[in-house]
Amino acid sequence: MNLYTSFMLTTLIILFLPLVTNILYVHKNKSYASYVKLSIVYAFITSIIPTTLFIFSGQEMIISNWHWMIMQTLKLTLSFKLDYFSILFIPVALFVTWSIMEFSMWYMHADPSINQFFKYLLMFLITMLILVTANNLFQLFIGWEGVGIMSFLLIGWWYGRTDANTAALQAILYNRIGDIGFILTMAWFLMYSNTWEFQQLFMLDNNLNMLPLIGLLVAATGKSAQFGLHPWLPSAMEGPTPVSALLHSSTMVVAGIFLLIRFHPLMENNNNIQTLMLCLGAITTLFTAICALTQNDIKKIVAFSTSSQLGLMMVTMGINQPYLAFLHICNHAFFKAMLFMCSGSIIHSLNDEQDIRKMGGLFKAMPFTSSSLIIGSLALTGMPFLTGFYSKDLIIESTSTSNTNAWALLITLIATSLTAVYSTRIIFYVLLGQPRFISMSIINENNPLLINPIKRLAIGSIFAGFFLSFNILPTNIPQMTMPTYLKLMAMAVTLLGFVLAMELNTMTNNLKLKTPSSMFKFSNMLGFFPTTMHRPIPLLNLYMGQNMASSLLDLTWLEKTMPKITSKTQMTLSTTISNQKGLIKLYFMSFIASALMMFLLIS
Amino acid sequence: MKLPILTIVMTTIFTGTMLTMISSHWLLIWIGLEINMLSIIPILTKNQKPRSTEAATKYFLTQATASMLLMFTIVFNAMHSGQWTTTNIDPNNMIVSLTMIIALTMKLGMTPFHFWVPEVTQGVSLMTGMLLLTWQKLAPISIMMQMFTSINSIILLLIALMSVLVGGWGGLNQTQLRKILAYSSIAHMGWMMAILTFCPSLTMLNLLIYLMLTIIMFTMLNMNTNTTTLTLSNLWNKSPTITMMILISLLSLGGLPPLTGFLPKWVIIQELTKNNNIAMATVMAIMALLNLYFYMRLIYSTSLTLFPTPNNIKMKWQFQPKKRSLFLSPLIILSTLTLPLSPVFSTLN
Repeated sequence: MNLYTSFMLTTLIILFLPLVTNILYVHKNKSYASYVKLSIVYAFITSIIPTTLFIFSGQEMIISNWHWMIMQTLKLTLSFKLDYFSILFIPVALFVTWSIMEFSMWYMHADPSINQFFKYLLMFLITMLILVTANNLFQLFIGWEGVGIMSFLLIGWWYGRTDANTAALQAILYNRIGDIGFILTMAWFLMYSNTWEFQQLFMLDNNLNMLPLIGLLVAATGKSAQFGLHPWLPSAMEGPTPVSALLHSSTMVVAGIFLLIRFHPLMENNNNIQTLMLCLGAITTLFTAICALTQNDIKKIVAFSTSSQLGLMMVTMGINQPYLAFLHICNHAFFKAMLFMCSGSIIHSLNDEQDIRKMGGLFKAMPFTSSSLIIGSLALTGMPFLTGFYSKDLIIESTSTSNTNAWALLITLIATSLTAVYSTRIIFYVLLGQPRFISMSIINENNPLLINPIKRLAIGSIFAGFFLSFNILPTNIPQMTMPTYLKLMAMAVTLLGFVLAMELNTMTNNLKLKTPSSMFKFSNMLGFFPTTMHRPIPLLNLYMGQNMASSLLDLTWLEKTMPKITSKTQMTLSTTISNQKGLIKLYFMSFIASALMMFLLIS
Repeated sequence: MKLPILTIVMTTIFTGTMLTMISSHWLLIWIGLEINMLSIIPILTKNQKPRSTEAATKYFLTQATASMLLMFTIVFNAMHSGQWTTTNIDPNNMIVSLTMIIALTMKLGMTPFHFWVPEVTQGVSLMTGMLLLTWQKLAPISIMMQMFTSINSIILLLIALMSVLVGGWGGLNQTQLRKILAYSSIAHMGWMMAILTFCPSLTMLNLLIYLMLTIIMFTMLNMNTNTTTLTLSNLWNKSPTITMMILISLLSLGGLPPLTGFLPKWVIIQELTKNNNIAMATVMAIMALLNLYFYMRLIYSTSLTLFPTPNNIKMKWQFQPKKRSLFLSPLIILSTLTLPLSPVFSTLN
C-alpha cells in the first residue's frame, strides 16, 4: 500500500518539473512545448497505478504531509484526499490534458509566446489537481482561486483585443461573486464546526443549517455558470480553442459541481437544498439550450452546450445522485474536449473563420474532423452505447423514476431534445451542403499533432463510458425497473429533436427571409440577460456612491449645515438690527413698549 | 467756535459730570446730569450742518426723556422712603428700581434704547463723537456704581445680554467708522453692566480700558479724518505707523489675548461663572467674536491687503501731521501691553 503515496506524489511532482526547471534549460534539444507534453504523459501513466490499485482494493487514502499552522483551535495542514472521486478524476483530466497539449502544439505553433502558453496551461492543471485532491476547504480554496486566475490569464491571452480583456474580467467578476458563497461556507464551518477538514465535517451532525449549503450552491453557481451567474462562459470563448477545450469544458467549470459532489454527505439530508439544486439546474439547462439554438459562432454553440450539460449535472445533484454526476463529469470531458478540438481544427483550416454561416461542405474536405465531430455530437446527445449514454441516459432514467419535481423533469427532457437540435444544427451548417467559405483557404488536416489527439479522444468518446462504468466500484444502485416508455423517453426525445432539426434546417434552404420573431430574438440575445444586468446594477451602485459621498456628505453635512447656515443667520440678523429708520417717533414708541414689557416682566 | 465760549462750555460739561460723581443727594445728581446734557448740545452742533443739528436733536430728546424718568424715580423714591440718599434705594420697590434702570440705561445707550447711539455718533465730527462715547458714560455709570446693590439683577442682565447681541450684529453691516465705534460702545456697555451686580470694581476696570481704547481710536482716526473704511484703506502710504497702531488697538478692543483688552473680558467671564451664570458668559463670549470680526475686517482693509490705488498715491509727499493728539503714545502702550499688570485690578476697590 505504500505505492499509493509514492505514486501519487510522483504524479504531482512530475507536473511541477517543467515549471521549476524553466530556468535550467534542460530542454535544449526539443521545444518546451513537447517537454511539457511529455511530462503530462508520464504523469498520466504514473497516475494510472494508484487508480488501478484503488479499483482493485477499494482503499481510499489520505496523505497528510505538512503541518502548516495552527490558528488557535484550527489546524491547517497540506493534505491530499485520494478517494473515489479524485483518484478517478486525475487520470481522466491528465488524459484529456495530454491530448489538448498535443493539439495546442499544432494550434498555437505560430504564436511567439507559445512557451508561456504551455506554462499557463500547466499551472492551470496543477491548480485543478490541487482543487480535486484537497482534503480541507482551505486547500480547495487555493485551487479554486488558482483556476480562476489561470482562467483569467488564458481567456485574455490575445490581450490586444478588447473583447478578450472584457471577457476575462467578466469571468473573474462572476467567479468572485460565487466566491462570496464559498467564503461564507468556510466562515460558517470555522465558527460552528471548528474545522475545515472534510472528515471532521462529515462526522459531525448531518442535519445542518441551510446557510453553508447555500454558500456552496452560490459558489457552484459562479464557477459552473449556472443561471444567474452564467454569462461569463460564452464570453470566455474569446480565448484560444485549447483554452476553451481544457478549461471551459472539461475541468474548470466542473469544479463547482465537484465541490457539491464532495459535500454530498451533507446534502443528502437536506431536502430544501436538493430542491434548489434541482430547480436551478433545470432552469440552467433549458435556458442555455434555448440560447444555443440561434447562435452563429461555432465555439459559442459548444460553450452553451457545455453550460447545458453543467445544468444537467446540477439536476443530478438535485436528485441526490452524486456518483452519477461524477460519472457524467468524466464522460463529458472526453467528448466535449474533442468537440472543441474539432472546431479548432475547422477554424484554423478556414483561416480563422468562426461563423457557421460561412462554413459548409467540409464533410468531403476534412473527413477525419467531420467524422470525429459527428461522433462527438452523437456521444453528447446520448446515442446508445457511446460514452454519453452511460451517464446521461442513467441520469434521465433516475430523474424520471424519482418522486421529485415533475416540472424540473419536464424541463430537463425538453433540454435534452434541444441538445439534439443544436447538434444537428452544427452538423448541418458546418459539414453538409455546399461550401460557403472563401475558396482559397488551405484546408489541411494531415498534421499528426492534430490527428493523434482527436483520435485518442474519439476512441475515448466511444469506449470510455463503457470502460469506466464497468470498472468502478459499486456505488448506489441505479433504478433497474421502470415502465418501457420511461426507459425509452430519453432516446425518444433525442430522436424527435434530430428529426425536427433536420426538417427545419432543410426548410431554411427554400425559405424567404423575413424579420426575426421575438422568440428568435430572445434566443439570440441570450435571453437579454447580459443586456439588462451588466449595465444597470453597477450604474445604480455608482449613483448611490456619488450621491451619498458627494451630495450628502460633502455638500450637505459638511458644507451647508454648519458654515453656510451660520453665515446666513448672522447676515440676516445683522441687516435686521442695523436697519434703522431714524424716526424719533419710533424710538419713543420702542421705549414705551420696552418699559411696559419690563414692568410686566417683573411684576 | 470762539475760544471763550468753548472754554465755558467745556468747563460746564466737566462741572456737570463732576457734580454727579461727587454728590450723594439725588437732586444734585439730577442737576449735574442736566447741566451736562444742556452744555453738550452746542458741542454737538459745532460744525453747523443739518445732520449735526438732527443728531443733536435726537440726543437731546432721548436724554431729556431719560432725565425726566430719573426725576420721576427720585420723587417717587422720596415719597415712599422719605429720604434722598443715593445708596438707600429700596430694592423691593418695583417701580423705583425698574424705572431707575430704564433711565440710566437710556442715558448710556443700551438696548432696547440704543437706537440713537449710531445716528448721533455718525452725525457729529470725530472728536465730538469721542466726547460723546467716553465722557458722557462717566456720569450714569458712577450713579449705577453707587446704587448697585438695589438693582434688579435679572433685568440688568437681560439688558446687558441684549446690548452685547445688538452691538455684535449691528456692527457687522457697517462701513462708516463712527457707527462701528458706536456699536462697539453698545457692546462694551453690555459687558460692563453684566458684571455690575456681582463685582462693580470689574465694571470700573472695563470702563477704564474701554475709555483708553476709544480715545486712542478716535484720535488716530482724526489724524487723517478717516470716517469710512474706504478712506482707511489709503492709510498705508500716508502714515504707516498709524496703520500699525490702529491694528493693535482694534485687536485689543476686540478682546484678543495677549493684549490688554482681553483682561476685562477674562475677569468678567470668571466672575460670571463663579456666580453660576455659565450660559450668560458663554453667549457673551461668543458674541464678542462678532465684534472681533468686524474689527478684523477693518484691519484687513488697512494693513493686511492693499486696495487698488492709482499710481500717484504711491508717491505722495509726506507732510508733518498737524492735528493734535492727546497723550496718544502713553495711552496706546497702556491699552495694549499691560496684560501682565493684571493683578493690579485687585487694588481697585
